[in-house]
Amino acid sequence: MNLSARMIIVLTVVGLISGSFLSVVGLLTKERIAMNQQQEIQNAISEVLPATKTSHKVFEDESLTIYESRDEKDDPVGFAVYASGTGFQDIITLMYGINPSFSKIKALTILEQKETPGLGAKITDKTAFLRYWEGRNCEQPLSLRRPAVESPEDLAASEVNAITGATISSEKVLDIVNLSLERLKEIKQKGQLSSEEKNAT
Amino acid sequence: MPPKKSIGAEYLKGLWDENPVFRQLLGMCPTLAVTNAVINGIAMGLATAFVLILSSLVVSSIKKLIPNQVRIATYIVIIASFVTIADRFLAAFFPPISKALGPYVPLIVVNCIILGRQEAFSSRNSIGRSLIDALGMSTGFILALLVLSSIREILGSGTFLGYPLLGAWFKPWTIMILPAGAFITLGVLLGIAILIESKTKARSA
Repeated sequence: MNLSARMIIVLTVVGLISGSFLSVVGLLTKERIAMNQQQEIQNAISEVLPATKTSHKVFEDESLTIYESRDEKDDPVGFAVYASGTGFQDIITLMYGINPSFSKIKALTILEQKETPGLGAKITDKTAFLRYWEGRNCEQPLSLRRPAVESPEDLAASEVNAITGATISSEKVLDIVNLSLERLKEIKQKGQLSSEEKNAT
Repeated sequence: MPPKKSIGAEYLKGLWDENPVFRQLLGMCPTLAVTNAVINGIAMGLATAFVLILSSLVVSSIKKLIPNQVRIATYIVIIASFVTIADRFLAAFFPPISKALGPYVPLIVVNCIILGRQEAFSSRNSIGRSLIDALGMSTGFILALLVLSSIREILGSGTFLGYPLLGAWFKPWTIMILPAGAFITLGVLLGIAILIESKTKARSA
């Protein structure tokens, strides 16, 4: 057999065998990977809206996903907003819970971030950052309090604490939240939250 | 060709004489990038070991069939397949580790240790020897990552495998878990490795 034919045959056969192996592995793990992602979202929703019993997706696009959450009596608890944007180093993905009238942020949690360890990465820290987000009034865009204060009561209603030494990371989180709040209100105005359509029909 | 080593020596050379990280300086990218915590170092070491061992087995068993001109392409296809399997497996069963390692699992494809061993060893040795060689190299790589990540996690976070090791008096050296800390630690370790090597050489001479 001449050389070119042998090269083509060997590479093709190796490629085919590898390909078929990989499609089997892909099939076997696909469901589980999707399940893990689903589980992660569910956990995040119950973290930002602890009263949640059931939740379902009401809006989704590239940068924003909104889940409506209901409690045991099937009363609306609020919405869980899954949003992402650029941070100081890389994309930050977060989720926050908001009440049904979009006036109060219930809690915030950071799902993915690659900020500087020890500084910007404190955005995932409950005592250093996240607790200052609970119960913020978000009828107006939120703003950053600098220098940071000790007690959440010292903050104005729509202020959140910055992290000392990681102002940029704090600002980025704030930007992601503010931008998504703006979009959230827009979407609601346009009546694109599908649960409202359901109520209308 | 140099005379054949005993099986034991074939395995042990990966641990020190030809340690992929400290002696051959191969696989620096994952070595520096993922060793900020011990668990990441171990996971990376095991994933690389899985790929290296299986690739060596496959390459050494089909070495006579592969035409010389397309050998690198063939190795890469084989290596990439095992890497993808490892990547999917981690994503399915160990999502937090998969997240922490991020792009460094797919990047095992271009880890020079793996391609280097196929080219330098598996393509010209028997299946058995290739297996021993791959096991030795993997152990050497895992040990190197373990040492590096232990130093960095203990100094950088004050913990080992996530358990607090040092008391509250200890202020973590944040720089150790940043990229700069990786370079500093690796540099110091390489210096120590060369020092030991030159001492033992001077003694045997």
